Amino acid sequence: MTAAAPTTSPMASPSPRRRLTQIVAALVGVLLAFAVSFVLTVHVVAAGITGSESISKALSSPNFNNIFGFNVLVGLALLLFIIQTGWGALRVLLTVIAALIIGFIIMLIISKDPFKAYNALLTGPLSRSNRWGSWIEDAMGLTLVGLAITLVFRAQLFSLGAEGQIALGAMAAGLVALFVPPLPLGVHIALAVLAACVVGFLWGLIPGVLRAYLNANELVSTLMLNPIAALIYSYILDRIRPANAGYSVSDPLTAALWPRIITGTRITTAIFFVIAAVFVVWLIIQRTPLGYEIRMIGANIRFARYGGINTKRTIVLAMVVSGILAGLTGAYLALAIQQKLVLAISGGLAFEGVVVALLARNKPLAVPAMALLYSYLRVGGPIMQTDATVSLEVVRVIQSIIILLFTAEGLVAFLQERRALRRQPLTEQDASRVAEGAIIQP
Amino acid sequence: MTTNPTVIEARDIVKIYPNGVCANNGVNLSVTKGEIHALVGENGAGKTTLMKVLYGLERPTSGQIFVRGVPVHISNPQVAIKLGIGMVHQNFMLVPSFTIAENVVLNTEPRRGIAVDMAKAIAQTRALAEQYGLSVVPEAEVSSVPVGMRQRVEILKALYRGADIFILDEPTAVLTPGETRDLFAAIRNLVHQGKTVIFITHKLREVKEISDRVTVMRDAKVIGTVNTSEADERMLARMMVGREVFMVVNKPPVRRGKPVLEVRNLDYVSETGKAVLQHVTFNVYAGEILGIAGVEGNGQTELAEVLTGLRSAAGGTISVDGKLILTGDPRRVREAGVAHIPEDRLTNGAAVTASISDNLVVDRYYRVPFNRNGLLQPDKITQNANALIQRFDIVTSNSDNPLQSLSGGNMQKVIVAREFSSQPRLLIAAQPTRGVDVGAIEFIHQQLIDKRSDGLAILLISADLQEVLKLSDRLMVMYNGQIVAIFRDPSAVAEDELGLYMLGSKRQTEQEMESQQ
Repeated sequence: MTAAAPTTSPMASPSPRRRLTQIVAALVGVLLAFAVSFVLTVHVVAAGITGSESISKALSSPNFNNIFGFNVLVGLALLLFIIQTGWGALRVLLTVIAALIIGFIIMLIISKDPFKAYNALLTGPLSRSNRWGSWIEDAMGLTLVGLAITLVFRAQLFSLGAEGQIALGAMAAGLVALFVPPLPLGVHIALAVLAACVVGFLWGLIPGVLRAYLNANELVSTLMLNPIAALIYSYILDRIRPANAGYSVSDPLTAALWPRIITGTRITTAIFFVIAAVFVVWLIIQRTPLGYEIRMIGANIRFARYGGINTKRTIVLAMVVSGILAGLTGAYLALAIQQKLVLAISGGLAFEGVVVALLARNKPLAVPAMALLYSYLRVGGPIMQTDATVSLEVVRVIQSIIILLFTAEGLVAFLQERRALRRQPLTEQDASRVAEGAIIQP
Repeated sequence: MTTNPTVIEARDIVKIYPNGVCANNGVNLSVTKGEIHALVGENGAGKTTLMKVLYGLERPTSGQIFVRGVPVHISNPQVAIKLGIGMVHQNFMLVPSFTIAENVVLNTEPRRGIAVDMAKAIAQTRALAEQYGLSVVPEAEVSSVPVGMRQRVEILKALYRGADIFILDEPTAVLTPGETRDLFAAIRNLVHQGKTVIFITHKLREVKEISDRVTVMRDAKVIGTVNTSEADERMLARMMVGREVFMVVNKPPVRRGKPVLEVRNLDYVSETGKAVLQHVTFNVYAGEILGIAGVEGNGQTELAEVLTGLRSAAGGTISVDGKLILTGDPRRVREAGVAHIPEDRLTNGAAVTASISDNLVVDRYYRVPFNRNGLLQPDKITQNANALIQRFDIVTSNSDNPLQSLSGGNMQKVIVAREFSSQPRLLIAAQPTRGVDVGAIEFIHQQLIDKRSDGLAILLISADLQEVLKLSDRLMVMYNGQIVAIFRDPSAVAEDELGLYMLGSKRQTEQEMESQQ
């Protein structure tokens, strides 16, 4: 973590010269993002074909424009991440490289054809448009839940209740889709999403109130509420499943489905919701009184109280807003991905969201990039399994090592401190840490 | 003293941080064996950087260090320890859940087989403690012992590692007067047994009391080294600040207005059921400073926190400008016109990881112009910060920097700036100058007096008796949660007599107190 990073948006710089540099850097970045997006899109659309032929083949594909559009969004997400974290982005890059090297060493030991297997993991998600599609779909869900977690983590509340909120949100959205009489599509989707948000709100309200007014540890209460939510979910699912269904699954949803916009994938117009959610969460945290209150109780709750902030109310609000976002994630899974209600619809997505939030250092604008990075690995694993016959367990092991390294920010910090002691002059980051009174020890 | 050999010497030390800050600019320091050498200077003068260089926490950009006449490269604290240099940091580096003996021997534990020989560790700790007169309980867990003892543990830790040059970084900032006395006795004891002590402080009274020689730093340079016996406080203060410091504040006569704060029969019961405040009754009038004297722990902290809404009263009433204020709701109290400089600035008064500008709006972020139509206005928040940074002379390059990038005195200025600029009717100032350097103390004192002369009512709580006596227009003594005396003219009260009230051996009658209201 960049210790000296200002807590407010780094874009609000007072120096005009620095601002100019930033604008130029942003423009170059945008152009680069476009160029990379174009190459990527050609690669994905014209899978297998190389050379100049690939471009004409790609351009003639009806999907080209939309895929290109999404790839531009990917590029912009990465750009946003770099702007948000500054040199921290370099640190993430180094960690990724280190993790991939360790993963490769394991691969050398267990695989007959390690290069092929690794190639599958690293380039698999870009090899075909359906695989590319699963990457983007997954990243959208991860972004939503990552934002939910970011909100509570900013307040130093360790709530892990998103798993239950997702399940109940999916159920609420699914029920609206199944049982509310036909409505215009937009209205029906809005109603289903609203139902999911309300349920997420309520499922966040319980631990929020318990924490704020009874001082019940939110980690324990949210973890205990998760199985309760899962049981409610499976109970209702059992009631509504068709009599002839062999296992717990609802009728396919036919109403209130988010329209799919790229054939062969499950990518939907929900992307607009995701973009809006990123912006709204950023707005809440950085630009609203509530966000200020959340940041302050996260920084020092006694200071917040001293300053007159109603800390109990803020705790409850942080938890319910997070619940709303998690509920929205559930609606996304039901209406855009599964298009039916299945058992364990979340499948641990909330806990992946925790990793995303941690990687993004709880900065909402950095969440999409980290969700993309993380889901790339999630999607690459099964591809490695099918393309290189590496068992999924091994894939999970490698994924876990990579995640472990990602999240172990201590490693890089440790190396930086070593270097700071050995070499002069100190980096600016170290110097500012010293200025903050940090004691750098070997 | 001069016949003794030089034990540690820094020559032409230059330390420039990569961000361009020059913290040491050709600094020379020479400490002779067996002396107590005070190092004084304002916050940011470069004292701590110099000590970090000597202890291997920083490497100088240029310059040389000699230990016992030998040039050395102190690349890290391990090297410093091998050279016999020990450092006691301002924030103790102890494991709170370990016992004192465990902390002392940590990393160099006596062993029996593969197990730590705890009995031996305890015995060694006890022997060392007795030899140097540092009383500790070796078996006690560090988290359960008072601050003074923790500090002795730090000294023992250094002794155990064979230190004979001790660097004490503002050791008295966290101590009560009694504990300070014990520490000074221990320091003298160390020196009697041949050790050398470098003592960083910005309390000139302590310099006079304990040190043999004193080196004054200002603006990254050494201004001079003098024998303490030849220096007086005023001269040292001038060397530190670079101009004449008015140790006596300029205080116009009091013009007392209407009562602003009226406290009647206030009771407070702690979580553990102890009656901490008992029937506390007093007024604070517009245009006066009412000081509260008392030994710490007699209810002053709780009084301030009940008055500001941080704690809920068990009984009694508080009104500001004739309006009752609810207890337990800091925002309502603030909106009634009460500002509060809290006793522990890092616990209550600030969020160190948040930016300076965020710290400066905690009491006003929700109001126009900082909040318009539910959206914060970053420009206004920055403007507020920049204006206050300028007005209160807070040293920082950018209001977006986290508060923890500031020195202690500047952090206190941030709090003072916020509280003064809220246009309060009543200011509750608890230990407003604790741990702050001379220049900043002068500034804060003058601000308090100016505001009081403008008609602000101020309740001043301070453990520093000199401060209370100097600033107060009226003085109140608290003992055991009660008001035991009120004096209309603090200057007419002898300190000895005040001591009797503070220790509870004397108290005024109701009528006497009534007459002093």
